[in-house]
Amino acid sequence: MILEALLAVTFAAALLVFAAPDEYAPKLAFGLSLLPIAGSLYLWSAFETGGNALTGGEIAFNTVVPWLEVAGYQLQWYVGLDGISLPLVILTTFLTSLAIVSAWTPIDDRKSQFYGLMLLMEANLIGVFTALDFFLWFVFWEAVLVPMYFLIGIWGGPRRKYAAIKFFVYTNIASLVMFIGFMMLVIGLPVNSFGLPEITQSLAAGELGNFFWLPSETLALVAFAAMFIGFAVKVPVVPVHTWLPDAHVEAPTPVSVMLAGVLLKMGTYALLRFNYTMLPAQAEYFAVPIAIIAVVSVIYGAMLALAQEDLKRIVAYSSVSSMGYVLLGLVAFTEFGLGGATFQMIAHGLISGLMFMAVGVIYNATHTRLVGDMSGLADRMPIAVWILVAGAFAYMGLPLMAGFAGEFFIFVGSFGSTVLPYAPVFTAVAMFGIVIVAGYLLRAMQGTLFGPFNLETDYDLDRAPIHDVAPLVALLAAIIVLGVVPSLFFDMIRDATVPLLELLGGGAP
Amino acid sequence: MVSASAYVPAIVLLPFVSFIVALFGRDNLPKRGAYGGIAATAGSLALSLWVLVSVRNGAAFQETYYTWATGVGSQPWGLTFGALIDPLSALMLVIVSLVAMLVHIFSLGYMNDEDERDLPRYYAGLGLFTASMLGFVIADNLLMAFMFFELVGLCSYLLIGFHFREPGPPSAAKKAFLVTRFGDYFFLVGVVAVFTTFGTAAFAGTESFPALAEAALNGEATVWTPGGLEVSTWFTIVGLLILGGVIGKSAQFPLHTWLPDAMEGPTPVSALIHAATMVAAGVYLVARMYGFYVLSPTTMAIIAFVGGFTALFAATMGVVKRELKQVLAYSTISQYGYMMLALGSGGYVAAVFHLTTHAFFKALLFLGAGSVIIAMHHNEDMWDMGGLKDKMPVTYWTFLAGSLALAGIFPFAGFWSKDEILYEALIHGLDEPLILGAYVMGLLAVPVTAFYTFRMVFLTFHGEPRSSLARDPHPVRWNVKGPLSVLGVLAVVTGGINMVPVQKVLGIEGIDYLHLWLDNHWGGIEGLSSHHYAELNPYSSQYLFGGEVSTVLAGAAVSLGLALGGLALAWALYNVADPAEHTDKLGGLKALLYNNYYQDEFQVWVADNTRAVAGSADTFDQGVIDGVVNGVSSVSLLSSERIRRIQSGVVSNYALLLTLGLTTLLVVFGLIGGWF
Repeated sequence: MILEALLAVTFAAALLVFAAPDEYAPKLAFGLSLLPIAGSLYLWSAFETGGNALTGGEIAFNTVVPWLEVAGYQLQWYVGLDGISLPLVILTTFLTSLAIVSAWTPIDDRKSQFYGLMLLMEANLIGVFTALDFFLWFVFWEAVLVPMYFLIGIWGGPRRKYAAIKFFVYTNIASLVMFIGFMMLVIGLPVNSFGLPEITQSLAAGELGNFFWLPSETLALVAFAAMFIGFAVKVPVVPVHTWLPDAHVEAPTPVSVMLAGVLLKMGTYALLRFNYTMLPAQAEYFAVPIAIIAVVSVIYGAMLALAQEDLKRIVAYSSVSSMGYVLLGLVAFTEFGLGGATFQMIAHGLISGLMFMAVGVIYNATHTRLVGDMSGLADRMPIAVWILVAGAFAYMGLPLMAGFAGEFFIFVGSFGSTVLPYAPVFTAVAMFGIVIVAGYLLRAMQGTLFGPFNLETDYDLDRAPIHDVAPLVALLAAIIVLGVVPSLFFDMIRDATVPLLELLGGGAP
Repeated sequence: MVSASAYVPAIVLLPFVSFIVALFGRDNLPKRGAYGGIAATAGSLALSLWVLVSVRNGAAFQETYYTWATGVGSQPWGLTFGALIDPLSALMLVIVSLVAMLVHIFSLGYMNDEDERDLPRYYAGLGLFTASMLGFVIADNLLMAFMFFELVGLCSYLLIGFHFREPGPPSAAKKAFLVTRFGDYFFLVGVVAVFTTFGTAAFAGTESFPALAEAALNGEATVWTPGGLEVSTWFTIVGLLILGGVIGKSAQFPLHTWLPDAMEGPTPVSALIHAATMVAAGVYLVARMYGFYVLSPTTMAIIAFVGGFTALFAATMGVVKRELKQVLAYSTISQYGYMMLALGSGGYVAAVFHLTTHAFFKALLFLGAGSVIIAMHHNEDMWDMGGLKDKMPVTYWTFLAGSLALAGIFPFAGFWSKDEILYEALIHGLDEPLILGAYVMGLLAVPVTAFYTFRMVFLTFHGEPRSSLARDPHPVRWNVKGPLSVLGVLAVVTGGINMVPVQKVLGIEGIDYLHLWLDNHWGGIEGLSSHHYAELNPYSSQYLFGGEVSTVLAGAAVSLGLALGGLALAWALYNVADPAEHTDKLGGLKALLYNNYYQDEFQVWVADNTRAVAGSADTFDQGVIDGVVNGVSSVSLLSSERIRRIQSGVVSNYALLLTLGLTTLLVVFGLIGGWF
């Protein structure tokens, strides 16, 4: 019942904060958000690795309660964890608390609603990463959008309405496509529940039948494609990425942190859970086009970042690039590829969170995010700036920081993939992203942080308060710890991803 | 006695601790971090010497300390950290920690006495730099080497850009990191390829990748190759990929352009970068995995040719520079070219020898330049100097010793090592024309080197003072003179560790200590001996005039003659009371050399065009891709008025819409699926 307790506490915290008066909301929200952290740390300490939850491995902390029956299908309250989802739950709780602290400075309006929505989003995110019944999962999946929509639409920048609607409509249409694809698959299967493990194992046993006139082989391909399109928007990959920079630029800092840090991982998590666990043979069939999408996302995303003059847009586009690596790791379908992709989700969550927060701290102090408006900030706000420098190097994949571990695992995993034809070529081309990322981040840093101090705004430079800087320090510490000791997460991730390789009979030399 | 493996990590950790202390101790520290750094590097030096002695006593070892990550299934690779302590790494540990310690001491004079700001940050950077380099030196596998290689790059960024308030240093720091990162990209692809091919990245042992590669070429083992590629072809490709990192870090053509710009960093940092750490890392890496490179004749020839070309190419640019540190920068590029030439032509010991002597005399020259710069109140233009000889005798005499070593004049250290490189290139070049071409370029660089070196010496120290600064130089203290004296002695005597020509000509056995040392004479790791490499060497040796001794004598005579010629020319032109800028007579050629063959302009052009491409990509993204998205949405939703109607701003309405949508979906699917 520990997962139910975790969810209940988080929802209750959200309600409590909604009801609290504005002046207490920030601190109350932070205090209450420590409870889910404690919960997730307890889960971590009590967790025993036992394979993949969907392919028949042991499911930790699981509860199955029949809920209601619709048209012969049993809907269930079905939650549980394995080595893939636990790190994501920990990431969610950790990042939400820090994002809440980072909101103290910029958010000065309708505070209890803001923090309530943040906690509500956290609860739904935990739901997404723990639900093992499709309907339950889908409810959480869609419910995440609601708080995010309001967080951008109410507290966002000048074009917040446009950005929020674009985000909401775009990802909702994608969800619809995915939903249709998945339903076709389920209808083709002789199962009577929406339990993800049941569906996965039924597919692995080759029980997929026809969907009306569609033969099962075509059905599987269509379902794979539909689900891929649905999740790809969420990741996002090129060419369905354009909602992301708009959403980021308009969103306030803490919301960007959540969006880049956790919400994007919903897409890759779902890709791993649905496409790459349930339909590995179809994944192999589509390997080349998806690898092309991955490589284009890496290189094109990085090139777009190189063209930006707004710090936040730079970090936003770089997310497209980084998530391309995750996709490459998935496509490769090897031990280090899948494990690295999952690890990279965590690493990128922390690093992009750090970068958005650091840019936010600079914005709070300077009231501008344009590279051309400032220079030499290192002189005036040294601690925040040097942490930003450290975060930028983490983004560039500096060894002994989490980003390098994730990227290296992906590269070393995908280079010799037998699933992906021309894997060495795809990998080598994608790896060139590490040069471009250095180019745009170093350029942006040189322009803003170094050189003689100058600020071309009507404001004076504010001092960054301690609660602006503290979350940065916490994230940087986490990034370094995971970079030095990646096995903290990588071992459990590996134990949950290795069983997937057996579905396709190996993977790599 | 404690076993060596127990204290080797401390060599790396001590400077790391000094980094942490300086980072958090800030201005409360004695001498703002300098003493901590000196103590840490002195500790590293003491331990390194202990390691050197224990290796001398046969205690070479390889040990894994920490497992970073492992695979369990189809990719059962161990990604680990460990130490490989053999004659090569033990020697390098001493060089690095010695130079690092002297640089720390020198910094007391160069930084503390000059009242620089932010000194804890400076000493933190130096500590991390030293730690990264030492970690790189002891690395027992390619992945660990890559990781520390990258950390070295980070530290160079932080230190070159130390004076971040000025516009120049941050730009130079960016360039250094970016250009070397470009090389490191190929290196990283190489690391990934090594893991995929061999399943290991270990340097030493029967299961190491050089050993497996050797076995695969002999048909005794099978390894993965992409698309069924020929094993030898694939090894050549992998070798070249890793070489990309070497060319970047060791500033070889065409990735050398970052190095002269890196002179923006404080001078002690230049000494550390050029003598013992970053630039040395590339050459050291080739030596470290020489057992792999030596298997591919193509790669070897490319290494030799790039080296020979860089040696000459960089030397020509050194001839026309006005600034003291610029001359030294180009000489560094050129000297590392010699080391590459040696490695490529099978002269493993010669390369390590030159790496050693160069570390000492180049550190000496940079610190000497630093001393001059203090005296000149940070004016670096040699045309404002002159006549400093009598006012700063310690600096002059030590700088002269370093210059004689750099120019390759008998009997200074550089003579012996450069002569051995040219000898190796010659005897193997007679077998392989490409190597001979590289040899000729290396030989042509000798007089040029001697010329620019002594042009620098004469302009700086001889003649009459050409500015008021030079007439009344700022005095320097013990913390400058001390390191200079130590390095000055080393620049004179280091040649003694490997007097091969003397041995060959006079027939005295056993004075080629470095050869014996690297040949595991006193113990080492199986498969990592110069002897083993010589057996694998693709070239045979040919001699001139019918014998080894006559070849040795002829080679030495030619290179010494050329060096003396260059020196004599510099003497004639610049050792006068009031020298003129004779290089002006070169006309257009001078402009070409002064502007570095317009290489930097080319790179700026590349960077600008990349930005332009990125700009077009951005326009395309906004206009076409996002345009389609917006177009679709405005068409499908008919008009913005309709959207506005559902944008009521009331939370419950949205929730209602969401629920309604979901229900509709369910019903539709229920009907299609025949559930009802």
